[in-house]
Amino acid sequence: MNPFSLSVEELEKKARAVRRRIIVLNAESPAGGHTGADLSQVELLTALYFRILNCSPETKESDERDIYIQSKGHAVGGYYCVLAEAGFIPVDWLSTYQHADSHLPGHPVKHKTPGIELNTGALGHGLPVAVGIALAAKRSNSKRRVFAITGDGELAEGSNWEAALVAAHYQLDNLIIINDKNNLQLAGSTKEIMNTDPLDEKWRAFGMQVTECKGNDMADVVATLEGLQPGGKPHVVIAHTTKGAGVSFIQGRPEWHHRVPKGDEVELALEELKDA
Amino acid sequence: MRNSEHLATVMVNAFIDAVERGVDLVPVVADSTSTAKIAPFIKQFPGRLVNVGIAEQTLVGAAAGLAIGGKVAVTCNAAPFLISRANEQIKVDICYNNTNVKLFGLNSGASYGPLASTHHSIDDISVLRGFGNIEIYAPSCPVECRQIIDYALAHVGPVYIRLDGKALPELHDEHYQFAPGNIDVLRKGNDVALVAMGSTVHEIVEAATQLAAQGIEASVISVPSIRPCNTSQLLDALKTCNAVVSVEEHNVNGGVGSLVAEVLAEAGCAIPLRRLGIQDGQYAIAADRASTRARHEIDAAGVVKNARQILLNRQ
Repeated sequence: MNPFSLSVEELEKKARAVRRRIIVLNAESPAGGHTGADLSQVELLTALYFRILNCSPETKESDERDIYIQSKGHAVGGYYCVLAEAGFIPVDWLSTYQHADSHLPGHPVKHKTPGIELNTGALGHGLPVAVGIALAAKRSNSKRRVFAITGDGELAEGSNWEAALVAAHYQLDNLIIINDKNNLQLAGSTKEIMNTDPLDEKWRAFGMQVTECKGNDMADVVATLEGLQPGGKPHVVIAHTTKGAGVSFIQGRPEWHHRVPKGDEVELALEELKDA
Repeated sequence: MRNSEHLATVMVNAFIDAVERGVDLVPVVADSTSTAKIAPFIKQFPGRLVNVGIAEQTLVGAAAGLAIGGKVAVTCNAAPFLISRANEQIKVDICYNNTNVKLFGLNSGASYGPLASTHHSIDDISVLRGFGNIEIYAPSCPVECRQIIDYALAHVGPVYIRLDGKALPELHDEHYQFAPGNIDVLRKGNDVALVAMGSTVHEIVEAATQLAAQGIEASVISVPSIRPCNTSQLLDALKTCNAVVSVEEHNVNGGVGSLVAEVLAEAGCAIPLRRLGIQDGQYAIAADRASTRARHEIDAAGVVKNARQILLNRQ
């Protein structure tokens, strides 16, 4: 049971709050950030932590809790903002993002930050580990579900496809792989650098149940995640997102992969993200 | 010398006994059931083993996940593929995440002999010594191997156990007690200290016998515990001798020879050291075991030759 169970409207409001925190967190970072990636997965993470996941600060050690794996570890800034909003970490930690030896390094570190389940950063690690956790849950007759968000550029790592074979072979329908498909990666568009399309056909060929959604549309994200049913196959949700979603001058621009808002950009972005 | 036993068989028996006493142990293999000689386990506990196919990255990643999910995950496959193919998974998913996984490097060193260098692991110790928190063991005989495994299964955290690929004779009696970090002085002599890990301990035992026949008294020091290592105990065993020869079926950089060099240098102990192993610029030759060890001078004859030379040079 999720402790918040927010409505779609409340989730949308929460997503705006998360985005405002992402802008400020990145602006205050002494070492840059991944603003575009942080913003593209806001609806996904907000829906997970405030409606879908059976996990809360109180149950974060429970054997029955759902597990979330941030495989695209570089989007950790957005992850921290969600963890702060959900009460896993103090909000005032957010101003220490990437400061020397702070609780919030530039990739997820579980012994630094409560709520984080796996240290990631090198790409292509989340799925094999998520497969192991899902398999352990099956073997222990646990109701636990395991969610992992990957990037789409990340899917060029072969370890993902090894793990997909194993997930399907062991019929891990308690595993939900979410692809944050924003079509951009470090140096440009995914289509030009290493095309992964047609992604749905690839996952289906590997034995997955595939669902697609508009990944920055909260109602669609919630309906999709709540509509997943066990059926003997692992789930893949292809979430079509926009890198930098929610801020007009950031979204869809590859230069914001590793750029942070500066000066007037902060106020402009916060203005765009005000509650109506 | 008592009966020889294959260390993979010792490993599988330890797994069976662990499950029988209630350890929630899950072996993970990468199409390596025959390498691991694990058929008796599968027969006794059907449905417990996980086979990920020929996919070492997922072997290690999934083992980390199984450990996070509460299992005692043990990976069993050939050491060269474990260490090299899954290097980043070992670094990140096992060591950095500090997961409760035991990695078994089977048929290590040049066990695969004529199958050539893709199948040799002469870099595993040096690679893993670079990852700060994984415990590293290289048993040399069945009793020690069993005690190391029983210790590792009870210990919470990452462990690597390097197993040789052939049956090894027993070196210890029934009173042997393994303790992490300890070294074992199997013979005492003041002329030269012979130091080895894993299966090459048998070469230095034989070399010491041959040296004694030539009037040279050698200490025989087995180092089953690379990390942790009781370095003061090791230093005490070394410093009574006039010279040291280290022997390993591993390259000379980063293995037991390097460990000995570090211990001597950091203590300011100016005892000459010769490191035998696969030398800089070389791979192990593709050959049967005896030829490989002879070529790289890590067999008893090679150890005797080098021990005599280092003592002569010193005079």
